[in-house]
Amino acid sequence: MQLPSPYALASVVLRLLVPALLASCYAVRPTRGGGETRSGDQVRAYSAEDIALPAGYRIEAVATGLTFPTAIVFDDTGGLYVVESGYASGETYEVPRLLKLLGPNLFAAVAASPDSNGPWTGAVYVPGGAGKGHGSFYVAEGGHKKGGRILRVGTDGSIQPLVENLPSFGDHQTNGPALGPDGMIYFSQGTATNSGVVGEDNAEFGWLKDHPEVHDTPCQDLTLSGVNYRSQNARGGKGEVETGAFSAYGTKTAEGQIIRGEIPCNGAILRISSLGSRGKPGSNDAAVGKIELVAWGFRNPFALGFAPDGRLFAIDNGYDERGSRPIWGAGELVWEVHQGRWYGWPDYSGDKSVDHAEFTPPHGERPLRLLKKPPGPWLATQAAAGKSVPEAIPDLPPVPAAILPVHASADGMDFSTSEGFGYKGQAFVAEFGDMAPVAGKVLEPVGFKIARVDLSRGVAEDFAVNRKGAGPASRLGAQGLERPVSVRFSPDGKSLYVADFGQLMMDAKGSHPRQRTGAIWRIWKEGGK
Amino acid sequence: MRPQLRHLKPRLRQAGIVIVFVPLFLAWMAGCSGRRSEPLRGAVDVSDPQVAHGQRVYMTRCDKCHPGGDAGLGPSLNNKPLPGFMVSFQARHGLGAMPAFTAEEIPRAELDAVVAYLKTLRRNG
Repeated sequence: MQLPSPYALASVVLRLLVPALLASCYAVRPTRGGGETRSGDQVRAYSAEDIALPAGYRIEAVATGLTFPTAIVFDDTGGLYVVESGYASGETYEVPRLLKLLGPNLFAAVAASPDSNGPWTGAVYVPGGAGKGHGSFYVAEGGHKKGGRILRVGTDGSIQPLVENLPSFGDHQTNGPALGPDGMIYFSQGTATNSGVVGEDNAEFGWLKDHPEVHDTPCQDLTLSGVNYRSQNARGGKGEVETGAFSAYGTKTAEGQIIRGEIPCNGAILRISSLGSRGKPGSNDAAVGKIELVAWGFRNPFALGFAPDGRLFAIDNGYDERGSRPIWGAGELVWEVHQGRWYGWPDYSGDKSVDHAEFTPPHGERPLRLLKKPPGPWLATQAAAGKSVPEAIPDLPPVPAAILPVHASADGMDFSTSEGFGYKGQAFVAEFGDMAPVAGKVLEPVGFKIARVDLSRGVAEDFAVNRKGAGPASRLGAQGLERPVSVRFSPDGKSLYVADFGQLMMDAKGSHPRQRTGAIWRIWKEGGK
Repeated sequence: MRPQLRHLKPRLRQAGIVIVFVPLFLAWMAGCSGRRSEPLRGAVDVSDPQVAHGQRVYMTRCDKCHPGGDAGLGPSLNNKPLPGFMVSFQARHGLGAMPAFTAEEIPRAELDAVVAYLKTLRRNG
């Protein structure tokens, strides 16, 4: 009898052993999210040496010690402004502020929210008619206390709400804004829930107790499948309750039930005019605050950006593995946004239905569809109402322009427009980093970096990462990036500015942000012209 | 029988050594960093059309759980010296938490391209 060689034997064993090892490793390995560390108790320090970039690029910290910075804005004189959020998950409230950078670590407060209705999630500058430096800032106010708003903030510190009462009492808030080539202010409104059903996770976040009536509001009429989810009574009562989609906690739904759409709504990109009915900036007439729906079916389209060719892109934070209807393995979706289209939430991730095995949590239940049928493009309902519709739009969501890592929390985006920086036309994306274990388990930290995305090919690559390893600097014992939340190119396109939110630790109880650990970084190309 | 036993023992001993040490080697590899991206290792060479195609497919199907071939929601692929057929086997059969991808979802040519991209990524730097 001829025996096999030891190598042949080993090969056979390996073929059996390695898949077995791979199969078992996910279940037995603990979650290792980037924020799951206690080392953030130390004072934050900053070192460009701890951040790796492609050859020829440099980085420096231009401002430190900020509290929850979320955005960078330039006015038309080149002045740099920073938005401080005034709120961080973990129910940490500060005063939202707009600051002007006067010098290294030297700021002047331009405006501060009078009612701490943060978070201020972003801002844009719109030039005014009275010359340079006389424009206005348009700020997205998340509205945790009084509902979402779009504010016009003058350079004199005056604050005027243009839009109020946006549905921001749930998980996600009012985000953006971005200035369109058409002069309109585009902003987004996140959903109240993770995947359409109010559950125990919302009680743990804190808002269900304060707003028991809150649920998601669709932008157009929906017909439900009648799927309900059981959960322990999170409002303090005994036993279990059943909750259906787009309904208040503890409210059952039935097959065929219609939920009426309205505007404003959740999971949407909306817009208002910045010009007024006479086409002039700074107008105060009714045309300025009139909301128009651009597209919906998003979850939390936090990042909005216009490509150099004028196309609108949005990055939608993917589903979490939490709550009554957890969805696993849903990436962050980069969408090219088309007027009037529905983008799939709460039944699709990209162009795939969430009842595909790919989205079933390990050892969990397969998510069921909440809608009896896709609502179809919003513009179709407009056509039925006798309004003109520019083109036929498919019912189902399109293929995303790119898919970014699950739980990366891609929250900021801007486009390179200059050969002086390089990668002209590509998107640069700030990845805030995972919120494990609350958002779901990860085997290693995800995000905490700047990615470069070639949207023509759907390819994302690292651009700025911590040198010592994956995760925030506080986890690595390093002095590099913590949680990048937004990016903005300088007016000449040669420098990329990064808002780094600062330290935010995580555990099973939630998030634990630390004030005065935020920073602004600048990245440039050596010899860039 | 006796001559066969004498022949068998050293072969079993050799095989045993391989079986013990290879998993240890794999465990050691798993402890190594899987980070291969441009800021740390230089740009990944995707000049080969099959590798470039594999990169695009990888971004659509795989990168969300294994960002840049490294660990994230799923384990790192860059630090496991798996032969190509095992990567294909894993993708088709979806062992563990990973879902299976049918030939309709990832055709054979695309899967081969993904394997070519992963090998390039693993060698990067």
